[in-house]
Amino acid sequence: MADFIQLFVNGLALGSVYALAAIGFVIVYSATGVVNFAAGQFVMFGTFAGVAMLANAGLPWPVGYTAALLAMAAFGALFFIVVYLPLRTSPVVTVIIGTVAVGIVMQNAALLGFGSWPFRLASPLEGITIDIAGAAITAHAAMVVVVTGLLVGLIWLLFYRTALGIGMRAVAQDAEAARLMGLNVNLLLALSWILATVLAGIAGLLLGPMWFADVNMGDPIALKAFAATIIGGFGSLPGAIAGGLFVGLTELLGASYLSSAYKDLIAFVVMILFLLVRPQGVFGERIQDRG
Amino acid sequence: MRRYNSLITAAAILVLGGLLSLVLADYRLRLLNVSVISAIAVLGFNFAFGLAGLISLGHAAFVGFGAYALAILTTASGWSPWLAIPAAILVTTLFAGLIGYPLLRLRGHYLALATLGLNVSFTIVVTNWISLTGGTNGISGIPELRLGSFAFNDERRFLWLGLVMLALCAAFAITLQRSRHGRAMMAVRDDETAARMTGIDVTRVKIMALCLSAAFAALSGTLFATHVRFVAPEDFNYAHSIVYLAMLIVGGEGAVAGAVIGAALLTFLPEWLRFLGDAYLAFFGLMLLAILIFLPTGLVGLAGRLRRLGRGAQAETTR
Repeated sequence: MADFIQLFVNGLALGSVYALAAIGFVIVYSATGVVNFAAGQFVMFGTFAGVAMLANAGLPWPVGYTAALLAMAAFGALFFIVVYLPLRTSPVVTVIIGTVAVGIVMQNAALLGFGSWPFRLASPLEGITIDIAGAAITAHAAMVVVVTGLLVGLIWLLFYRTALGIGMRAVAQDAEAARLMGLNVNLLLALSWILATVLAGIAGLLLGPMWFADVNMGDPIALKAFAATIIGGFGSLPGAIAGGLFVGLTELLGASYLSSAYKDLIAFVVMILFLLVRPQGVFGERIQDRG
Repeated sequence: MRRYNSLITAAAILVLGGLLSLVLADYRLRLLNVSVISAIAVLGFNFAFGLAGLISLGHAAFVGFGAYALAILTTASGWSPWLAIPAAILVTTLFAGLIGYPLLRLRGHYLALATLGLNVSFTIVVTNWISLTGGTNGISGIPELRLGSFAFNDERRFLWLGLVMLALCAAFAITLQRSRHGRAMMAVRDDETAARMTGIDVTRVKIMALCLSAAFAALSGTLFATHVRFVAPEDFNYAHSIVYLAMLIVGGEGAVAGAVIGAALLTFLPEWLRFLGDAYLAFFGLMLLAILIFLPTGLVGLAGRLRRLGRGAQAETTR
């Protein structure tokens, strides 16, 4: 039982990170229609922003985390101008391949900046464990779950209780109508990209102490976030959360109880089954070929 | 003239490749072999992506399926490679048809994600099914191809075989592209509803495109396996699928010449750009992005545009 609790909490923590990555992915998709295949590299950038500020520059962690997230926000704005605007009117295929290309560039840039040797990113709660019914839970894992819960609440407040968030949803629903209502559509689209990038950055900062910071970590995260999005439902925020937690839990529980070699296969098989049987996912959009 | 296009392309591949095979040194010949093998895979990918518009990020899985089928048949079952090649192509094509039925109901990014998941799953399975595939150690000791006492066991000899195969594939691809079937694929790509209105069985056309693409991929995989004589999971991961996609985009999607040129160019490019060192992939990504934005029809499209420009200028002067 103690083993199960430990695995379950760690699975929830990992799933929370996937959920945050998936939420960023979904926000961009809903607002701009772009399926961002570079989403995993955004999370990797978040981890390495943490490495740069905390491990390399030696900033204390509140300052370092803030600096890392500001850097991510700046990167989101840059991405909006350099990648999104030129590709805005291109066909879906072009956008997909374009973001794949950008992902390759980002991964290579990290390799050039940080080298291929993995880094260790320490947690602010390093070394603290909590005892729950005989199971030793790292305080970091518990913090990840709590932080994700808070963030989800904040995102909900933003989208449903503030003028800014309602404007972002309006643009996502119908950019033309939003423009006619006098909303600054480009600014709101840029803010959607920045919000997504910052969420990916938080996911990266939380993931850093759970894995090693490795420039190749982006692809596995992207694949899990994609699986989470499909399972939960494309374009749906509750879906991204449910899907992320599901993928994280199956990964850790599957590795212990089924097969550690095939643990990653479970998420993909479930994803492909969902695509075939229920492509709109648990909560998602109905239109099979939107985008 | 247009009627003989397939023969002209095939002859051009044989003559140009044959001449290069006589003048190039061993290392360049090896790269040329890799280009020829990739070109066959990209020709196949052109059916699915270039003609039928199926956005797949899992083409390398079909190449790997063919390569592993040949490796297993020749080493564990002791088949002759000449028999194993058609068997591997057949198995891979059947596999593509089988998964194509449910998979091809998906479009756009859903299809891209599903095929990506397929490729990742393929890598996971061949890495972990150790009793069949040898896991990460791969399968070595694949026999060489030979005709009587003539073995295709050095780079030059293998290149001759590869060129013949590529020429046949290119001629077949051009013929098919011009046929009713090729036009049906393009109609499905351009407008599915309109294609269905004209009486085209859209599902059948898509599955045919996927099966053809898998058959070419499998041939490419079997050649890869008999050339390197060793297969391992990382040769067929999804990064390779992205490279095949990039080859087609750089060369020009929908064009047979584009597939061949793109495959050769992207095989030699890392060599020419060796001075970039670790930064090559950044260059590769930026180049791909630039081509998507500024040159959406690839190098072949650029050549066509230049030709039309030249013709336009000529018409001006004669008038």
